[in-house]
Amino acid sequence: MAINSKINNHSIQLFNINRPVSIAPLITFRIAFGLLMFFSLLRFWWRGWVDTVYIQPQFHFTYWGFEWIKPLGGSGMHVVMAIVVISTLLIVLGLFYRVAATVFFLGFTYLELIDITTYLNHYYFISLAAFIMIWLPANCWYALDVWRKPQRQRQWVPAWTIGILRFQLAIVYVFAGLAKLNTDWLILAEPMKTWLPGRSHLPLVGKYMYEEWVAYFFSWFGALYDCFIVFFLLYRPTVRYAYLVVVIFHIATAIFFPGIGMFPYVMIAVTPIFFPASMHERILGYFPFYRQQTFIQENSVYAFHFKKIFAIAVAVYIFLQVIVPLRFLLYPDHLFWSEEGYRFSWRVMLMEKAGAAYFTVRDSSHTNYTTISNAAYLTPLQEKMMSTQPDMILKYAHFLGEQYEKKGWQKPEVYAEVYVTLNGNRSRLFIDSTVNLAAAPFSWKHYKWILPYKK
Amino acid sequence: MKNTWITGLVIIGFASVLFACSKSSGSDDTNTPPSSNDAFKTSMLTNYADNLIVPAYTDFQAKVNALENSVNNFLNAPSAGTLDAVRPVFKDVYLSFERISMPYLGPASSISANNYINTFPAVTAKIEAGIQSGAYDFTISTISDSIQGLPALDYLLFSATAVTKFSATDATNRKKYTRDVVTRIKTLSQAVLTQWNGGYRAVFVASLKTDVGSSIGLLVNQFALEMDRMKGPRIGWPFGKQSNGIVFADKCEGYYAGFSATLAVENLSSLKNYYTGGSGNGIDDYLVLLKKDQLNKDVLAQFDVAVNALKAIPDPLSAAFTNNAPVIEEAYRQVQKLLTLLKTDVASATSVQINYMDNDGD
Repeated sequence: MAINSKINNHSIQLFNINRPVSIAPLITFRIAFGLLMFFSLLRFWWRGWVDTVYIQPQFHFTYWGFEWIKPLGGSGMHVVMAIVVISTLLIVLGLFYRVAATVFFLGFTYLELIDITTYLNHYYFISLAAFIMIWLPANCWYALDVWRKPQRQRQWVPAWTIGILRFQLAIVYVFAGLAKLNTDWLILAEPMKTWLPGRSHLPLVGKYMYEEWVAYFFSWFGALYDCFIVFFLLYRPTVRYAYLVVVIFHIATAIFFPGIGMFPYVMIAVTPIFFPASMHERILGYFPFYRQQTFIQENSVYAFHFKKIFAIAVAVYIFLQVIVPLRFLLYPDHLFWSEEGYRFSWRVMLMEKAGAAYFTVRDSSHTNYTTISNAAYLTPLQEKMMSTQPDMILKYAHFLGEQYEKKGWQKPEVYAEVYVTLNGNRSRLFIDSTVNLAAAPFSWKHYKWILPYKK
Repeated sequence: MKNTWITGLVIIGFASVLFACSKSSGSDDTNTPPSSNDAFKTSMLTNYADNLIVPAYTDFQAKVNALENSVNNFLNAPSAGTLDAVRPVFKDVYLSFERISMPYLGPASSISANNYINTFPAVTAKIEAGIQSGAYDFTISTISDSIQGLPALDYLLFSATAVTKFSATDATNRKKYTRDVVTRIKTLSQAVLTQWNGGYRAVFVASLKTDVGSSIGLLVNQFALEMDRMKGPRIGWPFGKQSNGIVFADKCEGYYAGFSATLAVENLSSLKNYYTGGSGNGIDDYLVLLKKDQLNKDVLAQFDVAVNALKAIPDPLSAAFTNNAPVIEEAYRQVQKLLTLLKTDVASATSVQINYMDNDGD
């Protein structure tokens, strides 16, 4: 009896999301995240992408419901960028932390909402992590905010504050893994089979890139890694080896698929959240002035006001994170083909898809018609992304309709002849070219004008 | 203590993050020849450089020199006779240009050579204004594209009243303008050829990636872009595809000399030659290596269908737009089919990228 109750107590303790734990993981996370964002945004800026992505395009693929998000004129975007970059440094320093985290979240999310074209899963992750960080007391230890206001200092925080970050990362890994459990990936080793020959220039491994077994190895290893790495990270005896695998795996992805950008580095930088507090303490010990901190609030625990509201909010958040990537189940047909419920679901590097889209605009009396030169309205990247994604095709069609209405055409009709190739299957007609897309509404429901997938 | 090595690991992790951030952008990567260990790609790119691209530029250069002589003969003694002597030489130059139209990459694209040499239709009003005032600058990008190059010569030499205009007593400006146009073409093509014969060949051959700016990436993208130009400016737009079916015959390539259809056929035949790599390794062999035999066969077949559809159009194309509309319509359809294959299936199979932006997998 006695033993049983003890175990019970322990497990109750483990599942008590408010039990006090060391604040150290939050501090490393804050610094790592801030630094990573700082360099990541500078890289984005330095490569001239603020210009090519936000300023140059005359038309933006806004998210449905977010059409009111507009880029600011030329220098405006650079000002936004500067503000967001400054906020990352404030996050690192823990100075005016809550304001900085809020500014970063709003600024970064604003940038991402301007154009679907640049949607990346890790940008979505960054927005989510930034949102979470607004609410966490990551400035209550080893932060300039503590130096400003010593009574802010805390050494303990409720366990859920670290748990929620681990949960978020676990969602990324597990859903990325589940997404790989499909015929193309596992049985056909696509798109690896298509992508790897492009890496034949690499030293040492280059000559194996045409070998089929290498594509299978990459596919299966990637799927297993994504599905299971979280469990090894959560299990204390294996966490260090798991992190070694994380580092090696992501450096390898960065070498093989440099086009993926910052994703591998984001994962390397944020995964230490799984380390036990003692490891974080040790890592932080190497940081300047860390050991010189004075204990003002010995053994103090950070207490949230509105505990109940937070508990409900966390529950809702967790529910949404689980449900959103699964929404694709509500749509008929092949997800990779129609991409309904594809975004915000941690589907990374899953398919090789390319399209060619030819648009025709007619006026309603069919006396006036013209074919569209996409290059006149879209950047090459926008055209590429639009050509394979139905909601972008629809958005563009509506835009074209409006353009010709402005030119005085009567109720312009927009038709699209789009051909798409997916994972090495031959290109075929993607959407019904007899449907007037200008009159087709945006909807959460399945778009019937997407033609059914055929191998 | 036992946490020491994990700390080291974290530091390595962060160091690699910082390294990645400070790494130079993709565009610079292509200029550093990587260790070449893909014999096929090397042989394919060598074939493109040595047996197709450089000979094509050398040929164009020679043809432009011949044109210069022939134009000078005409300008020194303008008559219907001397102009007739220019006609076949001009056609030779234009046909030769169609064979350097496709490799619009590296040196050619860095100086926008093709835009300057062959932006059609020429804007005749601006040309006449330039002749009148004697004030014109051929080096302003985009703006001066349409007042020079082969389309400008086409207008200057072969529009209906050319001989009369050049024979007039005040034709000095017109002659100077014409000579300047020829010289400009010569300078541009010489600049491109010099770079290919200089350092660029080595860079081109050593670029074994398929990223943006890599040689294979550039070649595959050029197939699609060149087909796009065939579908739009060469055939579709003058045919009225952007104007409610109303024909704008004078928008077509080589309108005044009247051999537009021949140029289109040469352009596409040359594109096919680039696709196959002639007698050496080309993209077709690369597709076979990638086990895409059927796709390759279909692309080759579609090349033939499209070339034949273009051959069915009688010159002058400008008249055929109205007199042989169904033939044009068919050619347009076949060109679009080929464009689709090259832009989707071939680009996908070779996994080339079109853009420097990050991409987490389409």
